[in-house]
Order: sequence, then structure tokens, then C-alpha cells
Amino acid sequence: MNSIGEACTDLKKEYDDCFNAWFSDHFLRGRTNDSICAPLLKVYQHCIKKAMKEQNLDYDEVRKDLLGTEKEKIPPVEANKKSKS
Amino acid sequence: MKIWTSEHIFNHPWETVATAAWRKYPNPHNPAVIGTDVIERKVVDGVLHTQRLVSSVWYFPKWAQALIGSAKVCYAAEHSEVNPHNRHMILKTINLTFCRHIAVNETLKYIPHPADPSKTLLKQEATVTVQGVPLTNYMEDMLTKRISNNAGKGRQAMEWVINKINEEVKDFTESADEILHHTKKSLDDLTFSAKKSMDDISQKAKRSWEDMPHLKINSNFSEC
Repeated sequence: MNSIGEACTDLKKEYDDCFNAWFSDHFLRGRTNDSICAPLLKVYQHCIKKAMKEQNLDYDEVRKDLLGTEKEKIPPVEANKKSKS
Repeated sequence: MKIWTSEHIFNHPWETVATAAWRKYPNPHNPAVIGTDVIERKVVDGVLHTQRLVSSVWYFPKWAQALIGSAKVCYAAEHSEVNPHNRHMILKTINLTFCRHIAVNETLKYIPHPADPSKTLLKQEATVTVQGVPLTNYMEDMLTKRISNNAGKGRQAMEWVINKINEEVKDFTESADEILHHTKKSLDDLTFSAKKSMDDISQKAKRSWEDMPHLKINSNFSEC
């Protein structure tokens, strides 16, 4: 599978291989520490951010749904309390 | 707005289907999907959250192109959650490109089959809303038909990926067996040669010993 940025395809493949192995060998067996692929993800994401910018796609627009979902789970009052404490 | 729903049973355990879902693209059944990129991924309370950007090529009939524009590559945001404890995988996709006129929301749920946990149930739902253009109803029908058609292809694609993964596992087991066989053979060979060399050495040593004339070890020791 290709990446949106041609230059990122190799980085994506390397990360995907790591993730697929982690998903079946660790995550599905209850080991949720995902630090093993974190360095590969970081390099790959850096590359995508650049590629998306070049194609006028908003990185944060794709990202915000996930963050929005998390915010929805905590009512604003609770979230404020949490940040103050 | 049009709502479309569908259910399908995979004769594979949830773990296999979830693994295959990550590796669904590329496949020969959905050539329209040309890219998937991980934008955000993290584990929160044992649940894996992923946000991906899915790039695909859409071809519209000519009459629709005049209304929507001949979009070449379309982008969609996919948000997924995988919970290995209750064996749930949920993927929600929304299109990004036509946000002005068309909203396609699609949800896929992979859960263990309630009657047979060794099988996986796929629940699929899509809502299509077209606004602000003429022929709204036709457009919604066209997109709903396309989604329905693609869903069938998606299932075929999943079976194709599962088969591919199973083949890989088989290949891996076979090559592991081969390595073990070779190792055993090499060890056998090594043992045989080692034994042979030892035999040779002892034979030679014995012979040299016998060849040594008038050697009196015992007397030498007593002299010390």
C-alpha cells in the first residue's frame, strides 16, 4: 500500500511491518506497550505531515476527530477540574 | 439522506479478521484505494485508537461530474478502535473531499458471532447525504448503490487477505521445518565426521603407540 507522499512509502512500509507484527504478537495477547514501533511511526508521520502540506490537506482536520472523541468522553467541567488539580 | 445496512459472517476467529483488516489494502478487489496513512495512533486504557487518511480514486458518471466536479483522488478520515478484551473492532469513515455537498459516513463493526465465537460478524452501516445540488435523490441513490457494491468487494478482499496471511504462516512453518531438518542433518553429519575423525585419531594414536619401540613409561615414572 502506498502513502500519500511518494517519498514516505518506504517509511510507511517499514512502520506497517512493525505495527502488523506488534498487533498480532503483542497487542492481541494483552501486551499494550507500543513503544517498539514508536521511533518508526515518528519518522513516518513527519514525512506525511510534509506531504499533506504540499497537497493542501489539513493534517489537523484528519486528526481532530480522534481528539474530539476524547474530549466528548470528559464533560468540560470535569476536564477543567482535572487540569487544575 | 439514505441509510444502508448489511451483515456478513466470516468463518474465521475475530483475531484473524482484525489482523486482516489492517492489511486489507492493497488488494485486487478494491483497486480504487490507493493509499492509507496513519495520522495518529495510541493505546488508551488497553484500546487501540487509530486515525488514518484513506486516499482513493473515484470515477463519476459524466452527468454527475458536471454537478460535483470530476474528482480524481478523494480523501477520507478513518477513525478506529480495537478492544482486544471484548473483541471489538470499530471503524468509522467520513469523506473529506466533498464536504460541501456530499457526506458519506460509514461504520464497520467486527465482533465475535453471538452464536459461535469462532466466527466473526461484520455489521456495516452507511449514511449518504447530498445537499445543495440538484438531483439530490439520484445522487444519493447512485452513491448508496456504489457503497453496496463496494461492500461486497470489501468482503471478498478480506477473504483474500486472510488467505494470504494463512499462506504466509504456512510458508513460515514450512521454512522453519526445513531449517530444523537441515540443522538436524548438519548435526548428524557433524557428529558422524567428528566420530569418524575421533576414530581416525584413536586408530592413528594406537598405531603410533604400537610403533614406538621399547618405550618404558613405567620405569620412567619410577625414576622421578
